[in-house]
Amino acid sequence: MVVLKSVRPAISCSSFGFDGDQLVPLHKVSFVNLTLPASLLSVRLSSRNNAKLSLVQATKESSTASTNDSAAVFSGENLHQIATNGKATNIVWHKSSVGKVHRQEVLQQKGCVIWITGLSGSGKSTLACALCQALYSRGKLAYILDGDNVRHGLNRDLSFKAEDRAENIRRIGEVAKLFADAGIICIASVLSPYRKDRYACRSLLPEGDFIEVFMNVPLQICEVRDPKGLYKLARAGKINGFTGIDDPYEPPLNCELELPQKGNNCASPCEMAEIVISYLEEKGYLQA
Amino acid sequence: MSTVGNSTNIFWQESPVGKLERQKLLHQKSCVVWITGLSGSGKSTLACSLSRELFTRGNLSYVLDGDNLRHGLNQDLGFKADDRTENIRRVGEVAKLFADAGLICIASLISPYRKDRDSCRAMLPDANFIEVFMNMPLTLCEERDPKGLYKLARAGKIKGFTGIDDPYEPPLNCEIEIKQKAGVCPTPGAMAGEVVTYLEEKGYLQHQ
Repeated sequence: MVVLKSVRPAISCSSFGFDGDQLVPLHKVSFVNLTLPASLLSVRLSSRNNAKLSLVQATKESSTASTNDSAAVFSGENLHQIATNGKATNIVWHKSSVGKVHRQEVLQQKGCVIWITGLSGSGKSTLACALCQALYSRGKLAYILDGDNVRHGLNRDLSFKAEDRAENIRRIGEVAKLFADAGIICIASVLSPYRKDRYACRSLLPEGDFIEVFMNVPLQICEVRDPKGLYKLARAGKINGFTGIDDPYEPPLNCELELPQKGNNCASPCEMAEIVISYLEEKGYLQA
Repeated sequence: MSTVGNSTNIFWQESPVGKLERQKLLHQKSCVVWITGLSGSGKSTLACSLSRELFTRGNLSYVLDGDNLRHGLNQDLGFKADDRTENIRRVGEVAKLFADAGLICIASLISPYRKDRDSCRAMLPDANFIEVFMNMPLTLCEERDPKGLYKLARAGKIKGFTGIDDPYEPPLNCEIEIKQKAGVCPTPGAMAGEVVTYLEEKGYLQHQ
């Protein structure tokens, strides 16, 4: 395997205008210098970060941008664009030189999001803790984004009305994405009752990096457990819009894992955590 | 059970694996390095070089860049005063989560209002908030104009641009101040070096 030793500075090669409503993306490309042995018969290029690679012969250095076929192109993570994005204009994507791949090498794992969804009392937080412990004992770095905990900080300004629930999920999804980018195994433990909102979070991440775990525990069992006394309050009419009582829970149609597994309703949190760990191992997340 | 802000009936969920365990795994003490300054003062440049410098030392960091976050988490916010406040608040909360995860979180954003930066400082316990002020003169930043924004602001095409028609309130008590020496800017490597020296001295880069 050839290890990249140097990256030449990015060269911009596009024009842009500011007067119109649409700002034209300004693409930056980078050159990568590979020294290949003369006896090399073939070269295979691969990248883990969706970068596009083209192998061309070495060309002499030039201070002016060139668009002929002799220019090597290496784009993807190094895109630099000036964009209008929602309400904020004139924002620029800054290239960071230490990337996800580097962090994953250091941590010897791949960042991802394990999204645990289910009714209140279905065991989401319990599984999240067991999973976190199991990962830690294997020397892996994980972090739990618990819905209740996040509502103590980042999402303290949000209520439980439908639109606020959607915003709660959106923000948690965006933060989980950042954690995954940092190389961390991010365990989001959030009721997240609406399918649309969970799907929107899935779309934020590359294919495979969003692992939806459905805690499929019947309402009756959750209500019997009632770990926080909330079902009792909801039945007494003291909480309105409580999921499972007077607000819907939309179960996933295509999740990666469903727990407990069929025929094993008595699985302990540790046993369920091991099922998730096996999945992660199989898919290669527990190595760089 | 408690009510926090608009969130009612919420509980705090404890986990057996805490910040101390994560810091042990990463062989470092976590913190938030908050880089503030005018547009073009070199915040993102320092954030990148600091992140690289820490990486070569085997320390894990993560950069929260103001512009990048406005593409994702903060895409619903503009640049009016209350949106700026909310932008800073959210970045502060996320930086706190990253510090709790054991990382050295490098936040790089203009964050022009003192009150908002001080609120973020208050979010972090045990003085783990390290404010770095990129004290570069407006004239220099405007000359650099790396994104062409000063030009647009002077032409009246952007309103409320920090430094031109919106104030920047410099820190009164920051931990690190980066400025020119005899009219010369320090290199990205030198700036990163200054921050790394501070972190080393305060014991962040060695597991305790």
